[in-house]
Amino acid sequence: MPSKLSRRDFVKLCAGSAAAISLSGYLAPFMAEAVAAGAPPVIWIQGASCTGCSISLLNTVHPDIKDVLLKTISVRYHPNLSAASGDLGLNEGIFKTARENSKNFYLVVEGAVPTGADGKYCMVGERDGHHITFLDLVKELGSQAAAILNFGTCSAYGGLPATPPNPTGCKPVGDVVKNVPIVNVPGCPPHPDWMVGTIAHILLYKDIPELDSFGRPKMFFSQIIHDNCERRQYFDNAIFAKNFGDPGCLLELGCKGPFAFCDSSTRSWNSGVNWCIRSGAPCLACTEPQFPGWPIYERMPEVPVGPAMTATVDQIGGVLGAAAVLGIGGHLAGNVMTGRIGGKNEEKEGDI
Amino acid sequence: MIKEMEVRHSIWIRIFHWTNMIAITLLILTGYYIHSPHGFKLFSNMDTPRMLHFAMAYVLCVGVVGRVYYAIVAKDAKNIVFSIKEDTPKFPSMIKYYMFMADTHPYYGKYNPGQKMMYTGWLFLALIQIITGFVLYKPQMFAALGGFLGGMIAVRVIHYVVTWLFVLSVLAHVYLDISEGIPVLKSMFTGKLPADFDHGVHEDHELQTGESIST
Repeated sequence: MPSKLSRRDFVKLCAGSAAAISLSGYLAPFMAEAVAAGAPPVIWIQGASCTGCSISLLNTVHPDIKDVLLKTISVRYHPNLSAASGDLGLNEGIFKTARENSKNFYLVVEGAVPTGADGKYCMVGERDGHHITFLDLVKELGSQAAAILNFGTCSAYGGLPATPPNPTGCKPVGDVVKNVPIVNVPGCPPHPDWMVGTIAHILLYKDIPELDSFGRPKMFFSQIIHDNCERRQYFDNAIFAKNFGDPGCLLELGCKGPFAFCDSSTRSWNSGVNWCIRSGAPCLACTEPQFPGWPIYERMPEVPVGPAMTATVDQIGGVLGAAAVLGIGGHLAGNVMTGRIGGKNEEKEGDI
Repeated sequence: MIKEMEVRHSIWIRIFHWTNMIAITLLILTGYYIHSPHGFKLFSNMDTPRMLHFAMAYVLCVGVVGRVYYAIVAKDAKNIVFSIKEDTPKFPSMIKYYMFMADTHPYYGKYNPGQKMMYTGWLFLALIQIITGFVLYKPQMFAALGGFLGGMIAVRVIHYVVTWLFVLSVLAHVYLDISEGIPVLKSMFTGKLPADFDHGVHEDHELQTGESIST
């Protein structure tokens, strides 16, 4: 295996990687070499999350996750996977690593940051007999990190925990820690390739990848689902599924593919076995900053028309249209009765 | 007997009026189909309406830019741009006239304040449609703008709501025009209106021929 992989080739590889080849499997030897040569360590912490992003990472099947974690990514701490726990995990795994590698380690954050009640909604451990809130942990580690990698929509944009009414005051990491480079790898969950690929880029080139305007690596998030969708021909031919399980484009069932930035349509999930649309589920646009602030199985959200009242745009338009037609009818009747239409003009014509 | 005619709409006004009308009509029809292919069965597939929608979007862009340029260069803007300071006080008399509470109304110029408000509003509605439309058309190119406008779903809702506003206001526009008299409708084709056409103006504000009604 060659030990040099130019950044250009790397990005091409990540962006173009089809379902047929396993990106993680291909990258693993390069990353192993980088780690052996002293690549920066990675600390993985979890806040208001469902651990789904970690589960998704475990889906890296070739090579298996053990090799990725032990040989290719130098993960010093992971709340679910580390053997060390309690004081050992916190002091040795997190704080010692951060202290020894100040400004030279990468912090992976999974889950939003609850800021309500001074962050007391999310306790992650104890230090010197005091509880540590996730808010404090993110602030402390984030300011020491070389860069923060937000894995999952929750840490990147707030996601599910930050959806109104949001009683715990969840916020994305970018709102809590400033002045540190942030890479967002959104998704609910993110594809393992996106996570491994982002970490690989950092380990190999000691730099964050090129980002789009929402902080997402361009190599994974520059495609639109709708453009490469395997059900696109159904859309062009106007064959739309009316019920789940029907063949056809899923637009009428609320598919958000036309504005979802994500390469699932070409990458596929579970080692290329399947992905959302192929299995008949409309795209939720889970990689978008506004996710999930929209009705999942509706084409369009309803709009507020009054206190605690909503209506579809069609309903409002229909009511206003009916009102306009009534108004026109009334005015027309008035015009005829007063002689503005018919009577007066004819008199005028006669005068000439 | 030859009626005395005076020019009401210059050739450019008529050209822009009808190209914009065709573009907006097609945009609305194809737009409703793209929004709801099951509910608005006007086409048989997505290709034709989408192509038409995108083509007419560019026609509307040219039409809007051209109309604004003409309004500035030909000093037509004063006829159609709504001025809050000058036109708002004229509203009561206009509403009285439309509500049949008065038989006549003062002389307003080429258009009454309601018309001015509608035409100026259409410019802003058209600009909103162009901006949101391009964000939806090229989401990769305008991703940041889409985010700034509140996300793509918000852009989609704005685009659709404004479409409804166009439909409703065009309804009122067409009715008021035809109800004013067939010569008014004809003048948008020929450009000319009979010089003695009854605009419902006060006797004491007798129309000064050729002053500001012709452009």
